[in-house]
Amino acid sequence: MPSSGADSLKPSAFIPVCTAACLLVGSTSLFFVFTCPWLAVTICPAVPPCCAILFLLVLANFTMATFMDAGVLPMASEDEDKDDEFRAPLYKNVDVKGVQVRMKWCASCHFYRPPRCSHCSVCDHCVEDFDHHCPWVNNCIGRRNYRYFFMFLLTLTVHMIGVFTFGLIYVLHHMDDLWKLHCTVTLVVISISGLFLIPVLGLTGFHLYLVSRGRTTNEQVTGKFQGGVNPFTRGCCNNLEYLVCGPLSPRYAGRPLKKTAVHIHPPFLRPEIDRQMALKVRDNGLQSHDVQKKRSSAGAVELSDVKLKTPPPLPPKPDHGLMKSQVAVTEEVGHYTKSIIPVSIPTVPQLRPVLEAISRGSSPIPPEQLLKASDQPGTRSPDLRSESRDSPVKGVQQDHMPVQPPLQTNTSSLQLNSLTLSSRSLTLKHSGRHGSKSQLPNMHSDSIGSNPPPGSVPSSGLLPNHSSLSYDNLINSEGPQFLGQRGAPSVGYHPHFMTLGSDGTLIQRPSPHAYSPVFMGVTRQSPQPRDPSPSLQGLSSRDPSPSFQGFIQRDPSPAFQGLMPRDLVSQSLTSRDVPPPSLAMRDVTSHSLRDSLRDLGAQGLTPPKSATVRYDNFSKTIMASIQERREMEERDRMLRLQARSQALYGPDVGVYDIPSRRSLPPDNIRPPGSRGPTPPAYGSREFLMSTGILGYGIRSSPLSSSSTSSLTRGPKTSSSPLQSSSSSSLQSKGRSSSPAYCPPDRHTQPLPSSTSTLPRLPSSSTSSSSSTPLYATYATTKRSSLTYSSEGKESVALGTLK
Amino acid sequence: MSFHNLQELRHSASLANKVFIQRDYSEGTTCKFQTKFPSELESRIERTLFEDTVKTLNNYYAEAEKIGGQSYLEGCLACATAYLIFLCMETRYEKVLKKIAKYIQEQNEKIYAPRGLLITDPIERGMRVVSFPL
Repeated sequence: MPSSGADSLKPSAFIPVCTAACLLVGSTSLFFVFTCPWLAVTICPAVPPCCAILFLLVLANFTMATFMDAGVLPMASEDEDKDDEFRAPLYKNVDVKGVQVRMKWCASCHFYRPPRCSHCSVCDHCVEDFDHHCPWVNNCIGRRNYRYFFMFLLTLTVHMIGVFTFGLIYVLHHMDDLWKLHCTVTLVVISISGLFLIPVLGLTGFHLYLVSRGRTTNEQVTGKFQGGVNPFTRGCCNNLEYLVCGPLSPRYAGRPLKKTAVHIHPPFLRPEIDRQMALKVRDNGLQSHDVQKKRSSAGAVELSDVKLKTPPPLPPKPDHGLMKSQVAVTEEVGHYTKSIIPVSIPTVPQLRPVLEAISRGSSPIPPEQLLKASDQPGTRSPDLRSESRDSPVKGVQQDHMPVQPPLQTNTSSLQLNSLTLSSRSLTLKHSGRHGSKSQLPNMHSDSIGSNPPPGSVPSSGLLPNHSSLSYDNLINSEGPQFLGQRGAPSVGYHPHFMTLGSDGTLIQRPSPHAYSPVFMGVTRQSPQPRDPSPSLQGLSSRDPSPSFQGFIQRDPSPAFQGLMPRDLVSQSLTSRDVPPPSLAMRDVTSHSLRDSLRDLGAQGLTPPKSATVRYDNFSKTIMASIQERREMEERDRMLRLQARSQALYGPDVGVYDIPSRRSLPPDNIRPPGSRGPTPPAYGSREFLMSTGILGYGIRSSPLSSSSTSSLTRGPKTSSSPLQSSSSSSLQSKGRSSSPAYCPPDRHTQPLPSSTSTLPRLPSSSTSSSSSTPLYATYATTKRSSLTYSSEGKESVALGTLK
Repeated sequence: MSFHNLQELRHSASLANKVFIQRDYSEGTTCKFQTKFPSELESRIERTLFEDTVKTLNNYYAEAEKIGGQSYLEGCLACATAYLIFLCMETRYEKVLKKIAKYIQEQNEKIYAPRGLLITDPIERGMRVVSFPL
């Protein structure tokens, strides 16, 4: 019995083995003495010799199993593990016949245990092909002595069966002399053998099973290869063959080291190779720099510097010459933010009060103030923008994360920078492009149904994932620019809306400005529902308007164009073409917004800050206000339409029932902090109408279904996104439903085409009961965007239906 | 004339940096060492020589662990004699191990010692590694 130390020489450890040995030897001896003579005489004289041989084998195997080294692996010397001791992982994977096997680091023996090796806690050493530690032999069963152990079990089983059988025969033949010595002893013997036969038989059968499967007890018990492939098995027959005929492995431990003298004679050879030890090239962080530099062609150094900086460092004084580049940066940032940045509102101290004011619903800070605020931190962004601009389309990878924070902050500083118009939109584009498709729908929903900034709505609040991204973009990038840009991209993304003919034209949507969130803000702010002037007034009085104007004035950066290659190219062009005065452009692009735009422009450029600042709240308050405005407008529209459509649509007119209050979400349903309901401004109405056209297609189905709450109803699926467009769509539907009804704007003209589909849509309407949730869900982020996309699709389908 | 005793080399080697050639378990638990050329020996010895040494060792071990007629006979004989045969005769494996030891020493003398290297018998480390004290 091998012992590795004094501790292992526990007396208690020897009890089982001694017991087993005693039982075995004693019983067999008694059997031979008392039973075998009669057996030799009665049954066959060969019986005792066979039993003796068998018993001899049992003993031999028992001895081998008990005293043979199971395959103990000696402890690793210090020099072997000096590197592994502290830095090595606990496990090392090795491939064994295609199967990954895990090698564990043995803390006691200081090496990685070979496959199938295990550390025996009783013996305190690692054993190769460890099976188990058998108490009956007080030894580990491993590679070297498993055969003997198995043979011991086999022979013992046979022996015990033999003893039991012969003893039983003897007893049965001596039933009358049962209490004689021989008989009594035989009875005792057969009772012992009979008693221990059962567990031994079970153990033997178990190990037969293991051998056939090529497993060890340790593997079987731990369930290593329970469900997988055992790479160590050679097949049942080969396993048995290996068991029986396999070589006896050598002993590792306790081998005498033969130190032979090696005589070395000169000449001493040296290889021709220069001695150059392989140097480990460590990554000292330069890679990050390289990545950064790759990403931003321009201002790479700055970018990397910015990235390296921890909380966003203040960028240098914004240089207007670099604004465009910065825009690109922002767009790049937008990418990053979209993909990676969690909600991390860039801390723009200057904007904080404005944001807070807006959130509180107080009068927005004059754009001038916002502009000032933006200017101050804006210096940072220019550098970043320039860098990002250079690589607007490329590298919108997640790995730009490190760049994001600084970029964000920089962009935030540039938020109110008029030159960052494109950047904002670019970010939106990117977000829409790269981000979840929810973003896209958000943008579309924004552009379509509601004035809420296409980017802001989806990005700010509607996109949980990318909310931070878009939201940050909103905050960071110039508000108006961003808004406007977003409108453009969103439009581009949903060509079907265009087909619906926002303006009856399939050309690219009106300039993004038309859908810029600014309008939303403007309309939202303007209480007057249908009066263009109110929008203007609202614009003037509210932040969005100034921001919008500022937005209008901004010239979309080329990066913007780059960002939206496919859909928004045209739009980007349009957006880009928008001159700073942009009003003219707006007129061309957006029909609905034209007036409002003019109005806005007339009021003069106002710092976009307000708009950008507003984005902060768009997710909640703005959305709510926008919804409310829409509701108001829709109600008005429905009232009109109802009167007109009654005769036209009969039962379907129910769709145009006067939007009762019940159909609309309760007023109290408003995101916390949102402003009170504001009647849609003219601009907003126009916007809604134009957007409503787009959403009309989606709406048509729900609207077609007669329901009192037609206004707010939309396809069940497209609840939230429809909300944004619900109002507009509802309005449009209302308008279209009554051909006689002449929509005040041109936007409504296309509606008839879409509205014509209304009658057909009843069947296609998913549900008409989704009205109320429309507004309620408006604030929801993802859903709106997601459904928005569905809406878009529906609208397209509807358009085709026409 | 000066020749270095391997004992001295080993002593100094124990303190010096060592290169370990690990086992190759791709074919199971049969004894086989990786033939991958360690980078530390780039400048010390030619790649082919090293690989030849390791491959020869692997062949030796494969021969020792081969399951064939000889191993079967050995087993039967052992069983028949109640393993008393092991007292008299060494197993086939042990014989191969002796051959390996001889081979390693020969390699050391001829190839590695002139280059300042030394191969240690893996059996000393439980057949886990082939160490190369530098």
